[in-house]
Amino acid sequence: MKLGSKNLRLAASALLGLLIAVLPLFLNSYWTDVCVSIGLYALLALSLNLILGQAGIFHMGHAAFYAIGAYTTAILNTMFSWPIFWTMPLAGLMAGLVALVVARPIIHLRGDYLAIVTIGIVEIVRIALVNDIFGITGGSNGIFGIGRPSIAGFRIAKSIHFYYLVWGMCGISVLLFHFLWHSRLGRALNYIKADDVAAEGCGVDVAYYKLVAFVLGAFWAGMVGTVYAAKMMTIAPASFNFMESVIIFAVVILSGGSQLGVLVSAFLFIGLPEIMRSLTESRMLFFGLAMMLMMVWRPQGLLPPLARSYEKIVSSLSKEAETKGEK
Amino acid sequence: MDFFVQQLLNGLAVGGIYALVALGYTMVYGVLKLINFAHGDLFAIGAYLGLTLLVSCHLATILPPWLAVLCVFVLVALMVALIGYLLERVAYRPLRSAGRLSAVVSALGASIFFENALMLIYGARVFVYPDFLRPDFTLNILGFSIPGMRILVIAVSVLLMVALQAFMLHTKTGSAIRAVAIDQGAARLMGINVNRIISLVFLIGPALGGAAGILVGIYYGQIDFLMGWSYGLKAFTAAILGGIGNIPGAMVGGLLLGVVEALASAYVAVAWKDAVAFVVLILILIVRPTGLLGERTADKL
Amino acid sequence: MKKLLAIAAVLAAMLMTGSGQAWAADTFKLGLMCPVTGKWASEGMDMKNIVSMLVEKANKEGGINGRTIELVVADDAGDPRSAALAAQKLASSEVAAVIGTYGSAVTEASQNIYDESEIVQIGTGSTSIRLTEKGLKYFFRTCPRDDAQGEAAAKIIKTKGYSTIALLHDNSSYAKGLAEATEQALKGSNVKIVFFDALTPGERDYTATLTKLKAANPDFIFFTGYYPETGMLLRQKKEMGWDVPMMGGDASNHADLVKIAGTAAAEGYFFISPPLPQDMDTETARTFLADFKKTYNSLPVSVWGVMAGDAFIAIADAVQAGNVTGPDIAKYLHGAKDLHAITGDMGFNEKGDRVGDFYRIYTVKQDGSFVLEPKL
Repeated sequence: MKLGSKNLRLAASALLGLLIAVLPLFLNSYWTDVCVSIGLYALLALSLNLILGQAGIFHMGHAAFYAIGAYTTAILNTMFSWPIFWTMPLAGLMAGLVALVVARPIIHLRGDYLAIVTIGIVEIVRIALVNDIFGITGGSNGIFGIGRPSIAGFRIAKSIHFYYLVWGMCGISVLLFHFLWHSRLGRALNYIKADDVAAEGCGVDVAYYKLVAFVLGAFWAGMVGTVYAAKMMTIAPASFNFMESVIIFAVVILSGGSQLGVLVSAFLFIGLPEIMRSLTESRMLFFGLAMMLMMVWRPQGLLPPLARSYEKIVSSLSKEAETKGEK
Repeated sequence: MDFFVQQLLNGLAVGGIYALVALGYTMVYGVLKLINFAHGDLFAIGAYLGLTLLVSCHLATILPPWLAVLCVFVLVALMVALIGYLLERVAYRPLRSAGRLSAVVSALGASIFFENALMLIYGARVFVYPDFLRPDFTLNILGFSIPGMRILVIAVSVLLMVALQAFMLHTKTGSAIRAVAIDQGAARLMGINVNRIISLVFLIGPALGGAAGILVGIYYGQIDFLMGWSYGLKAFTAAILGGIGNIPGAMVGGLLLGVVEALASAYVAVAWKDAVAFVVLILILIVRPTGLLGERTADKL
Repeated sequence: MKKLLAIAAVLAAMLMTGSGQAWAADTFKLGLMCPVTGKWASEGMDMKNIVSMLVEKANKEGGINGRTIELVVADDAGDPRSAALAAQKLASSEVAAVIGTYGSAVTEASQNIYDESEIVQIGTGSTSIRLTEKGLKYFFRTCPRDDAQGEAAAKIIKTKGYSTIALLHDNSSYAKGLAEATEQALKGSNVKIVFFDALTPGERDYTATLTKLKAANPDFIFFTGYYPETGMLLRQKKEMGWDVPMMGGDASNHADLVKIAGTAAAEGYFFISPPLPQDMDTETARTFLADFKKTYNSLPVSVWGVMAGDAFIAIADAVQAGNVTGPDIAKYLHGAKDLHAITGDMGFNEKGDRVGDFYRIYTVKQDGSFVLEPKL
């Protein structure tokens, strides 16, 4: 494989980082906004990658947690005038909490059964929001008048400010998830993905680790919801439907599972419909076609994660020793 | 009590349609373990093609209505089967070795493609089936008048379900399909042409979907280019509820889903019916992790 | 020689058109934001057809006040996030005014972007009350607000003497807003609301909803949602053999309604709506209709596309009066009166709302045609 070597990927990541840092200098506000949107989806996909890509949990309802985060921020900001950034950890916590409560009894379900349950969750959340649950979500109109965030007196209002905020968060997330991947948790999740029966047999608490991944991913999506709410200044349930979850899901699958892949795939998924704007009515037709072709072109995804390096040297014997040390 | 029975009947009628769409869904899933999100759109294509043949090709005026409908069922089933076959060759077969989720994304892409193709070809307005095609009789059972179309829908679903089940259990090809579903490698070693079997499944599944599309068109009249998405999702839910891959399960799941929705509308609130249906689904899955009729798999611990 | 001349002519023509585009002062850039894909594509296509037809006609007649109109279309897909990007796209193309869009939540997602860029936005199918209650200087709309329609609906319900009514909506921001506005307007009267709930749009079978409605025993149903569901409700209500009068809001004013319901089931159904151009006895409406028939060989499917035509007329009027920047157009339109719009005389108040009382009742007759009732 051409992109197989670790050094090449490292170089590509550095180059991508540099490109992202200087890109806004060449963009007008429309394209900057498109890049903000790409960044938001990249963040969502990075968090879903932990659940779907790393742990192999067939989760198609990520927009539910994104919605909970966005609404937490919107409600706290408009009703109790909390500053946006203060609401961010709470948005994440709310999303994580809901994820914990709903996932606890269902996390042991097999792949496709879990998929429909997660679709159910995103639909239940959307219906609850539309029906103005507790009288605080504003029904199908949603909530407007969400404030702009500010850091140390600097007000984040323009597209370019959001650009650096979102992509800064992306950078931090990539680093954090990278370390997570190399931790005990990351190894356990990969084991579960490869073979959950074997993992269970080796003493890995499958349900526990799956739940951790699920809640962590949901927490992250909740925080992304905060940024989305602050960027849009108005949110409505229409933004958090099942189709939204599907797009995030597709971004992760097309990426192949590596973080670099997720970023590239987010560019393709969100950027493509914008590039194809001049096709007006037929743009979604070509988008669907592109989705099929991209998958057929790279069935394993754009950039599958590299094999863990120890797998190259150690034999199956020491692999066994490795998993014994797991618990 | 009258109210309850009436709602039950309403639910069964809706459920019959869900079951009909779910049959093709579950058939494809059973063999390939692929959630074919494009199935709903094949169903919508069936509805549109049926209308084109009936109205634009004047089949409905040349032939007596029942014969026209019969012809259209056969023709559309063939056409949609062909589309399904091509879809499998182009969008799913290259992905067969790549893990199931890649094919799911390809299916989602296909779904978006079909939806927009319908919109561009036919336009975004709704279309309506001619009214006279609908059998116009009502049955009186225990004081409840049941429109004939409802009985027809349920009868067709049950008939198809039984036929499909008989085909799977009692024919040689059916056995081959089941063998491929269990283990493709072993099936190949037994001399089964796996590719041909999968192509066959992708002829039968979409054909069923196309036929369901016409039935919905005749029953409800109105069709639009986005109808496949919502029916597809309901059918998937129904298939899961009954135990995906299981043909009688699709039937049971569909009917149950319809009834739950109707009763939720009646006793909770119409606005919350889908949420209630999903909650019921989740509760059932907690108790029975592989659906109502799904087989307990060995990998469950 | 002839060849050479031809080439020279072509070159000259190219130069002229080329330089024509370079004279920025002679063009006026107009944005149109509408859903040409997604669930509201049918309305969006109509909006696009109508506005581009009007633009073409204006340009053929030498432009407005000597300016050629350059139309930039952006698809919002009926989705808030896409709408925000579409708005940013139009803002970056430096349009001075934007027509659109359909759907209140979608419109709301774009409002701030236009406001910050000082671009006039004229909503065409965005009826939610709060859109003009925020004090935005650049926002206008050619469609009436939910509360205006709610009051009109309440007036009709009271005049017709119904006492126990059912309000049914579909949880879209438009239909729910109208249902709530009607409920509000009926407060204090002796009309009792015995049913208030929402169905799920996009489905086919509403018999469960109808059975529940029937159990509440209302003597009148007001369904505030869109025409596909209205059609299915009428059809299935007829099949149930339940003969209760039903009314709709202006979202049911669509050519396909009777087709879906069937003529027999639709007969007697009535809805309130701004009048259609074919029922207007004004010069503007007549010319518009003739042009539309000539270009597209059909009638506009609903009143919402026509509202986009109204928005174009408002902007054209402002440009005619020499206003070509966002702030100037906004200043001109605030308090503008007696613009000859397709759906009747049009003016805007200080909030940017359309003023005037233009709700009328349409009844579906035996042959399936919509007939305008005399004013109440």
